[in-house]
Amino acid sequence: MKSLTLRILLRWETLLVVAIIAVGIWSATLSPFFLNRANLLDLVTPYVFVGLMAFGLTFVVITGEIDISICSTLAASIVSFAQIFAAGVNVWAAALIGLCIAGGLGLVNGLLIGVLNLPSLAVTLGTLAAYSGLAFVVLSGEGVATFPESFTKYGGGYLAGNELPIALLVLVAFALGLGIVLHGTRFGRYLYAIGSNREAARLSGIPVTRVRVTVFVVSGLMAGIAGLVYVGYFGSARADAASTSLLDVVTAVVLGGVGIFGGTGSMPGVLLALILVAEVRSGMQLANLSGQLQNIVIGVLLLAAIVAGNLISAARTGSRPARLHRRRKGVTANARADAQVLVDSNP
Amino acid sequence: MIARVRAMRPQELAAAAFRLREIGIVLALLVVIVFFGARASNFLSVSNWQDIAQNVSIVVVVAVGETMVVLTRNIDLSVGSIVGLCGYLVAATLAHHPGVPVEVVALIAMAAGLGLGLINGLLVAVARIPAIIATLATLAIYRGIDAEITGGKNITASQLPDRFLSLAASKPLGFPALAWIALGVAVVGAATLRFVPWARDFYAIGSNPDAARFAGIPAGRRIIIAFALSGALAGLGGFLFASRFPTLDSGAANGFELTVITAVVIGGVNVFGGSGTVLGVVLGAVLVATISNGFTLLRLDEFWKIFFNGFAIVAAVTIDSLVTRRLQEALRRRRAELLVPSPARADA
Repeated sequence: MKSLTLRILLRWETLLVVAIIAVGIWSATLSPFFLNRANLLDLVTPYVFVGLMAFGLTFVVITGEIDISICSTLAASIVSFAQIFAAGVNVWAAALIGLCIAGGLGLVNGLLIGVLNLPSLAVTLGTLAAYSGLAFVVLSGEGVATFPESFTKYGGGYLAGNELPIALLVLVAFALGLGIVLHGTRFGRYLYAIGSNREAARLSGIPVTRVRVTVFVVSGLMAGIAGLVYVGYFGSARADAASTSLLDVVTAVVLGGVGIFGGTGSMPGVLLALILVAEVRSGMQLANLSGQLQNIVIGVLLLAAIVAGNLISAARTGSRPARLHRRRKGVTANARADAQVLVDSNP
Repeated sequence: MIARVRAMRPQELAAAAFRLREIGIVLALLVVIVFFGARASNFLSVSNWQDIAQNVSIVVVVAVGETMVVLTRNIDLSVGSIVGLCGYLVAATLAHHPGVPVEVVALIAMAAGLGLGLINGLLVAVARIPAIIATLATLAIYRGIDAEITGGKNITASQLPDRFLSLAASKPLGFPALAWIALGVAVVGAATLRFVPWARDFYAIGSNPDAARFAGIPAGRRIIIAFALSGALAGLGGFLFASRFPTLDSGAANGFELTVITAVVIGGVNVFGGSGTVLGVVLGAVLVATISNGFTLLRLDEFWKIFFNGFAIVAAVTIDSLVTRRLQEALRRRRAELLVPSPARADA
């Protein structure tokens, strides 16, 4: 057993905080305005919708699946919302319908993956395209941009003397709420159990199918909520909205320490990773780097996060590698039999 | 008929299922041709078919590489970015050095693609990053590099030598040159996957990675080869793309990976790896390109194609998984029968 200090130091969240401080210092040297209270509070505002999608995706990834259709779900949901609003429906009623559509699109993913047992990667790659096509069909290339201020303030408005962004409060509220669901409820424990070993979870009486479907509905709903914040912040709804945000969302989740093979991850980690992504992007804007160059850096960050995670789990002695080893043993007998067949059939 | 199916040995049953898949695509293709032929007057014209053949060719070249990756139970999302980057490289080389032979430029594009694919392979096999995440990141990184090199400018057809521009239009033996190249890639690819031992390993790795390792297959090295080949063929695809669409900017072939993966999945390559044929993928590519062409002739917007591609992926995966499940059940029963002959069979 290593000492407590070392274990705290090796905690992923600690490393994220260190990284956030380091990038903060770098940004402060680029611009004297970076450390302004107003600027610090406003740092994450443009990425709140990314964070809300990342929270939904976290649920999916912890169960050992992936949902790459969320950005298209966001687009399809907000253009429907915008069309219904433009037809004269009350903005909140239209928003509610938009949310239902987002949840419905998530449900379609969930049924295909949870009930028919199809691979989530292939299904959501398909619906990524299908939903984005759908968004264009609903709102062919135009934008709607006449939303009332009482609605848009939740994406782009401020409180407390024009310094505290309301969107930030929305983000923190969802992080808290979903964090409690993930870390404090039976449903949350189910996600980890399914992500660690789906067969064992099923045998211990967890309603695996229902939970897996629910997870994709949650992911769709969070994309819908992210869409409402998106419309509030940017003031318009377009069919290509958020189409380039998938990299940021996946980076926030993976950088947040959520294990890509399922079974591990925490909500505070994802929130910290989102702050880091927002900070890195804003720092690069201060340094006058183009959007494409920023994407290269975020892409490298995503790859580095996984490599670092692999190295850290190797550096940690004790529990984790041993457990992995035990799980492998069951597989081994089967694999040896299959290997024999392979050797026999190939002269 | 049913009696014949019952009498089949396991291997024959599996082969029959594959043939059924390929026949299914051909039937779908016939339906599509009749439908668009009736709706769009110029659909059946010779020039339109040459158009389709050229588009199919680019998809086929890239899809053969993608097939190798998918067979190993991985995926390569970065091929669209590799096509774009290598395509720009081809155009930029020819624009600045008009004297370079076209074949050399094609080799440069393939070498560049090979390098980019090698990076993907190393990330997946050595750094142990899941292919979906690794290639999602390199998709953004390669596109970013493309944008940095182009610097917001584009290369137009007028800057390129005629030798290169006439390549796409030339028709040796009455068939577009691009189609000959694609045919060559498909034949070599099919032969490789059928007869070459290291390529057979792709199937073994995809069927059961653990078993492949126990059987002594160097899985990591094979996966690197699959990604490198996918990259090299995407590089060649970039060369063909540049000859077909000679006006290139940093957005060239954006989203092309979706068309390629649709062709691969419709063509019957199992997304869990381990099964699939080049013939199926070629048929899948023809089907996708024909439908896409029909949509254009009917003046349907670009996004209908995107919607169709996505829908087709989901539909193909659903059908595949249902068929596979039935087939596996049948195979298990057949194996059990072979081990313990039932009394009924002994009587007959």
